[in-house]
Amino acid sequence: MFLFQETVGKLLSSFFKEDKTKLGGDAVLLMAEMLKVFVQEAAMRTLKQAESEDCDQVDIEHFEKILPQLLLDF
Amino acid sequence: DKRLSSCLSFVHCFKKVEWGKKMTSRGQLKAALHYTVSCMCQRVAEQHQREFNRQLVAAITETAYRQCDIFAKDLEAFARHGKRSTVSTEDVKLLARRSTALVSFVHIQNKLEVLTQEQKDKKKSAGKKKSKDTEDSTQ
Repeated sequence: MFLFQETVGKLLSSFFKEDKTKLGGDAVLLMAEMLKVFVQEAAMRTLKQAESEDCDQVDIEHFEKILPQLLLDF
Repeated sequence: DKRLSSCLSFVHCFKKVEWGKKMTSRGQLKAALHYTVSCMCQRVAEQHQREFNRQLVAAITETAYRQCDIFAKDLEAFARHGKRSTVSTEDVKLLARRSTALVSFVHIQNKLEVLTQEQKDKKKSAGKKKSKDTEDSTQ
């Protein structure tokens, strides 16, 4: 998963407003973890929503329903 | 004039490539993110005998991508508040405290402790190595 850490580091850096702002090595590791949790939460909550509606196919509608709470939780 | 038009088309192409380069690297990062997101989604789907359609996976990627923007801006603000230009693990800790999803917060706290311990161990062994090197050099 080293590729993912590299991606996260570059991605976050690209969003900094100031050129002088840098991302520490350990901070990158933690942020990669945090993002994985975010994606995992998004996927799991969407799936649970689909299951609660007795749907076989997990859809974008299910994701839209859980999205507000997901964003609030993060 | 032939020369003028070929010059203009060259400049046009050059501009396109420059612009293309910048756009592609953001696009490349998003594509790399998408790869991990779809792997994770596939795993979750398989574990529950369900399928995630492509539109959904793309939506999760997009959301994660936008969340990175929010995270980055917050991290930058925290670092600046601490009068630092390098974002530290303390800043990440501050970012994570907002999460009411207790599981993720505890998970990150634990990860932080593990990392801090690893750092301490590294420093210990690095310290030993340094004193050994100075011994060798004086001989």
